Amino acid sequence: MTEIVREVTVTPAERTVAAGRDLRGPFGVALIALACIAPLFLGNYPLHAIIIALIFLLPAHGLNLLLGYTGLLSLAQAAFFGIGAYTSALLAVHFGTPFYVNFLAAGVVTGIIALPLGIPALRLRATSFVMCTLGFVIIGQAIAKNWISLTRGDMGLAGVPKPHFALGPASFTVSGTVGFYYLVLVIAALATLVVYLIVRSPAGRNMIAIRENETLAESVGIPTWHYKLVVFMISAAFAGFGGSLYAHYLTVVSPLTFQMYYSTTMLIIVLGGGAGTISGVIFGSLLFVGLTEALRVAPELRMIAYGFFLLGLVFWFPNGFAPLIGRFSSFLEKRK
Amino acid sequence: MTIELSRRGFCIGTALIGLQTVSSSAFAARSEDGTVRLGLVAPMSGPNARYGSFSMRGAQMAAKEINSVGGVGGRKINILPGDSQGTPVEGVSATRRLIDQDHVDFIIGDVSSSVTLAMQPVAEDAGVLLLNAASSNPKITYKAGVGGFKWTYRNYPTDENRALIVLQYAAEKKGFTKYAVLSVDTDYGRAAIEFTKKYLPRFKSQILTEDYYKEGEVDFRSVLSKIRDSGAQAIIMYGNADSTPIVGRQMMEVGIAGKIPLIGNAEFNTASTIKAAPKALEGAIEAAAWLPAYESEKSKAFVEKFTAEYREAPNNHAYVHWETVHLLARAIEEAQSIDREKVRSALSNIHYTSAVGEVTFDDHNQARLPMILLEIENGKPAIKGAYSAEIDYPK
Amino acid sequence: MFFTVIEQVVNGIVSGSVYAIVAVGMTMIFGVLRAINFAHGEYYMLGTFGAWFAIEYFDLPYPVAVVIGVVTTALIAVIVGNFVMQRIVGAPAEAGVLATLGAALILQNTIILVFGGSYKFFSGGYIEPVTLFGFTLAEQRILIIIVGMIVFVGLELMVTYSRMGKAMRAVSQNIECCAVVGIDVRHIALWTFILGAGLAALSGVLTAPVNVSVYGGMGELITFKTLPIIIMGGLGNVRGTFVAAMILGIAESLVATYIGLQFRDTVGFATLMLVLMWRPHGLFSAQARF
Repeated sequence: MTEIVREVTVTPAERTVAAGRDLRGPFGVALIALACIAPLFLGNYPLHAIIIALIFLLPAHGLNLLLGYTGLLSLAQAAFFGIGAYTSALLAVHFGTPFYVNFLAAGVVTGIIALPLGIPALRLRATSFVMCTLGFVIIGQAIAKNWISLTRGDMGLAGVPKPHFALGPASFTVSGTVGFYYLVLVIAALATLVVYLIVRSPAGRNMIAIRENETLAESVGIPTWHYKLVVFMISAAFAGFGGSLYAHYLTVVSPLTFQMYYSTTMLIIVLGGGAGTISGVIFGSLLFVGLTEALRVAPELRMIAYGFFLLGLVFWFPNGFAPLIGRFSSFLEKRK
Repeated sequence: MTIELSRRGFCIGTALIGLQTVSSSAFAARSEDGTVRLGLVAPMSGPNARYGSFSMRGAQMAAKEINSVGGVGGRKINILPGDSQGTPVEGVSATRRLIDQDHVDFIIGDVSSSVTLAMQPVAEDAGVLLLNAASSNPKITYKAGVGGFKWTYRNYPTDENRALIVLQYAAEKKGFTKYAVLSVDTDYGRAAIEFTKKYLPRFKSQILTEDYYKEGEVDFRSVLSKIRDSGAQAIIMYGNADSTPIVGRQMMEVGIAGKIPLIGNAEFNTASTIKAAPKALEGAIEAAAWLPAYESEKSKAFVEKFTAEYREAPNNHAYVHWETVHLLARAIEEAQSIDREKVRSALSNIHYTSAVGEVTFDDHNQARLPMILLEIENGKPAIKGAYSAEIDYPK
Repeated sequence: MFFTVIEQVVNGIVSGSVYAIVAVGMTMIFGVLRAINFAHGEYYMLGTFGAWFAIEYFDLPYPVAVVIGVVTTALIAVIVGNFVMQRIVGAPAEAGVLATLGAALILQNTIILVFGGSYKFFSGGYIEPVTLFGFTLAEQRILIIIVGMIVFVGLELMVTYSRMGKAMRAVSQNIECCAVVGIDVRHIALWTFILGAGLAALSGVLTAPVNVSVYGGMGELITFKTLPIIIMGGLGNVRGTFVAAMILGIAESLVATYIGLQFRDTVGFATLMLVLMWRPHGLFSAQARF
């Protein structure tokens, strides 16, 4: 039942799709209510799993804008995720700035760093672009390891404080799983809304045009180069926000944050749910975390099963698992 | 290309996952089943799985030994594994699962320091005893005990300890003053060198070249030729066991074997490593938490039993996990209960005789452990004594 | 000083030869399948494990172990080729990335499951150091350079003269036309893949004596070393890949000596990015494929 919680954030994305049905209103309200009371009937462990899913949702949204809507396969999400995590952790540890400052700074800094990286990278095509973005991750890790005066290298930055909010005389610290769950839920909902607004805007349609046929898009006057660059920066900023949440939730940042593992995680989430849809990515992040956690029952076989899952995903469900469920439900509807 | 989901389809999908989560938590075993539920977090898949498999085997062997004589206080030890893959996020997930799903009372883990650092606050919030057996980053216990985390204990010597002991022996007994550094590029290798540097002035020594290799690096020829030409008297190496034979072989190739010894810690003393490059490892000096050749009855018996059981010689990770399970069992016995509070205070006051000596914990929950110093002589490790050093905690 | 530089260049050529044998297989696979094979290092690992198994359990001599390692890997490649690689012909790039990653996870963790995660000791090979022109090298390294040369010449001859080689070149240039003129693309794809995997295994078995340690996770590093090489060499370009592998080997060696070993693994991707800024299609244009 827990994951229905996520439905709340889907509501806007789905509104136009299912506009004809009347049940949507009450249903949405029920789901919002369910999301809000989820901690009442869920233990810390399922909540933790949802938190991880929601943290990964941010970079996955970013990658979806890039891959699903603009057609650029990037493996750089882990690099930007790491930059965001380090930005947040460094600010918190060295300057003691509050969470919302760190969080915003992580996204902004990451987005700005993406500009000089994106300019040369986006000139490349296909495989070269993929490898170049993978290079960002490898080089990012080398910098995190070797710039010891700033990052403390492999010793990592431990003790990143829990988010603390102060409004006038009232102040409270988000500690514990439940508090963090609500914090991440709100942020993920806002992020989903932002993505929704982007893709439903004229800009979003231009992005899809670039994905479908770049040359044609260029010829009808879409400034494809600027679009790609801006989308690259936005997707990096999303990864940066996710990295900030990661740093404050796990309280530790180390060069291990820069790993291709995270890049492929984002890719699996986007493709597993269905690239080019918002609800698909949300579904994908829950599916991914649900799967990796479910596989914990057999630690030795876990990664093997995961490998088979990837093969199954690619060969049987090239559009992700979400359409399958769509088909299943319409099948049920027909039978009625 | 664009795929839209129907609202209902989406619900069904999410509900399916939700059901899985809820049902598994509803049927999770409770802790009141008369066993000691002990979680073990270690990298069990992926590139670092080699550390996890030794840890798991060591711990399981200890549990088997304890259970075969009726358990501890009548309770059998039940080890529940959690895979960290050597990354903090997976480690935290595994810890959460062990605490909330498997209802463990105690956790041993992880090998990698950055994973342990991330697990600390989780265990602290849940009030579950986290007994670390193999991470050497000093920060873990800087922050434990009177430093903050009440529930973290560590039964393993820190990098700081080790660095000081090695340097002292090299300077005082061998008269070395010029060193080359060749350590693994992880928190372990980096931290050991950081603490070595802290004590360099005390022995009027200096580091001439400094290099770090990535885990799995196979080509050391370039850096070894550089070290050969640098005038260093010894190579300080803190690394993992798998690189040592490669370094040894390549030292022979570039012609520094037998001229510039290795000092530090990277399992110089295992038989297969010495066999791979006997000339290069001759004269190597190592400070180890434990080694298979250690002369004590308990240690010998462990090696024999482990080798018979798993058909391979135990390494350091296997030993420390084996010993730590026994240590925990003793604490439970002394507490006469599996109540976490009681076990914790039993642990703080414990006087446990391990295979290498007596174990007690200081006010930072750090075990006071002797380090064994050995030198490879005539192709065999010769033990030069057990040293221990009291740690200066930063104020 | 001069001598040191020359010595480092020689070191670079040795590691360059290892990379070249692995990368050349990967680049041919790319040429035909248009997929980046993230599992390529795993075949390197499988070859090493095959040989280790033959030596450790059956006490076979090293040359026999080499054959066993390569043949075992080729057999596994037949299975993977049939069930995975053939199916990604014509699929989008991200499908290729995920499918080969999945294959890598399965291969790597199956080996860990069967043989345990701990490192193994490889005891075969010719490890005695010999001195040539003032450089000391293990005999095995000289063997690696020689085999590297043979593989290079052999592949050049094969793709130029043999029927299979010509078909491979044709497929790498235009899949649709090949289908039109009756070349069985899936068949060619499978054989290219088996050849590539076999070469990776060969490289693994050849380097095992000097690398000594054998463990399940060893393939990943090789994959990451090889990726920048094949892009720099111009994807699908055999000759370019050889040159790029040598350049990278030498560059790594010099960086390890004069800057620091910790930056060595960054050299590949850093060089790649510089090269791509200057020549977006790699050092050797993709037109010169094969």
